[in-house]
Amino acid sequence: MSHHFIRFTGVHYSYPDGTEALKGVSFTATHGERVAILGLNGSGKSTLLLQTNGLLLPTTGEVNVGDVPVTKKTASLVRQAVGMVFQDPDDMLFMPTVYDDVAFGPRNMNLPEVEVERRVTAALKAVGLEEVSKKAAFQLSGGQRRSVAIASVLSMKPDILVLDEPSANLDLSARDNLIKLLDTFHHTILLATHDLEMAKQLCPRAILLNQGRIIADDSTEKVIETFFSVCLRKEQ
Amino acid sequence: MAKTEKILYSLTKIDKGRRTVVPTVVMLILTILYLVAVLSVPLHMPQKLIWLTAYPIFLSELCGIGYLKIFVRSLWILPILIFIGIFNPFIDTAPAFTIGNVTVNRGWVSLFSILLRGIIAFQSVLILVSTSGIIETFNSLRKIGCPAVLVTQLQLTYRYIAVIIEESLTIKRACAARGFGKRSYPLKLWSRLIGQLLVKSTHRATKIHLAMLARGFNGVLPTGNAVYWTSTSWLWLFGGIVFIAILRFTDFTSLLLHLTGNFNR
Ligand SMILES: Nc1ncnc2c1ncn2[C@@H]1O[C@H](COP(=O)(O)OP(=O)(O)OP(=O)(O)O)[C@@H](O)[C@H]1O
Ligand SMILES: [Mg+2]
Repeated sequence: MSHHFIRFTGVHYSYPDGTEALKGVSFTATHGERVAILGLNGSGKSTLLLQTNGLLLPTTGEVNVGDVPVTKKTASLVRQAVGMVFQDPDDMLFMPTVYDDVAFGPRNMNLPEVEVERRVTAALKAVGLEEVSKKAAFQLSGGQRRSVAIASVLSMKPDILVLDEPSANLDLSARDNLIKLLDTFHHTILLATHDLEMAKQLCPRAILLNQGRIIADDSTEKVIETFFSVCLRKEQ
Repeated sequence: MAKTEKILYSLTKIDKGRRTVVPTVVMLILTILYLVAVLSVPLHMPQKLIWLTAYPIFLSELCGIGYLKIFVRSLWILPILIFIGIFNPFIDTAPAFTIGNVTVNRGWVSLFSILLRGIIAFQSVLILVSTSGIIETFNSLRKIGCPAVLVTQLQLTYRYIAVIIEESLTIKRACAARGFGKRSYPLKLWSRLIGQLLVKSTHRATKIHLAMLARGFNGVLPTGNAVYWTSTSWLWLFGGIVFIAILRFTDFTSLLLHLTGNFNR
């Protein structure tokens, strides 16, 4: 996949219980572009992100990553390109030690163990957590778990990075580190977040979701203004 | 610390094991051979089993665990063994031997045989797990040719225990935090909590599975650590096999009687 872009075309998605979480979402994020996904709780951000690597497949509509349409068949190919940080780090961490968790992706890529070790060390260093590599995930603080979850995706060196509220639970310095770290990532980023400052600092462009529909797609500054008016309308 | 939390911590200890002189794969092969040796001893020959206890004693000391610890832990299996063998003395009443004027029947001999056999077999497995760690043991199973799918099933089942414990811990905390010091809850609430525990654990397991897929999981857990067999492994394997074979096939009992000159039964 030479072109690291993501394209959603008329994507609808309903959960098995009938909840319509996405109601016709279309947008394209081109190579190297960083797009913030904004929206109220339950507006469909996480659902949208899960479509990017085929963990959920559209009920109707199409998602393309590079030249590849995301289907059941192509999912494993797409997942090598798209690195995804889940909203809840506990959903990602399951190996006995932090080290093994960060090594999980690279080992699945069948890399030689030397390379795996190099990547794990680098990824843990990037999030400032080398010293906990021998611990189990449940022995970490909430913010540390978050950082490990991020490291476990960085170690895969993805072409496209998809993050679901990565700054939640992080302290100020960890958050700053994360922003700097993401700033050095020169490929495509999709970032769902409630951290508007972070969105402004990292992403020139933003998409605003409301009840499963895109209601604004513009420069982050402008979209945030629209977002405020949506919030106001909801409060009234 | 709460009991549930302690279990979690001890799980991580079992996970990792401790570094020992004997390489993991060798340990696994020797344990399997030892199990075969123990299980192949006929029921009416418990004296042979007594000599085979030398293996767990020697190995636990060699690996620096201490036999006492292993022995105490192995007693856990005793109730199960008693359950298996308890009827033997009443079924098999043929006399085996007499001491003074007490006749011991064959049933008692086989009961003793079952208990001893079960305990030392369990001890050897305990030593394997506490030296190599569950994870490494699973990985070694892969290395000696166990099908990957099977081993992955075992590994995930084992990881799932940790997930359930973690979930039960959060439920317990949530209850405690809003329970105003209440210590007991009505049975009805308990049944709902347990149902909830299953639902939550399943949900989390599903999420974890998604996250695994997102990181390239293809049905087989990667084993990692590349070096499994070194030149010293052959030495350990050879030494271990000889040791077990000697324990199993030498008739120490008659040898001893012979040496002390009392060979006249
Ligand atoms: N597993 C599920 N089954 C049924 N409905 C779900 C499920 N997960 C989410 N939903 C529903 O889908 C809608 C979108 O949820 P989603 O998680 O995408 O929201 P979100 O924008 O990520 O919200 P937040 O900011 O709170 O993370 C919500 O109405 C939610 O209730
Ligand atoms: Mg969400």
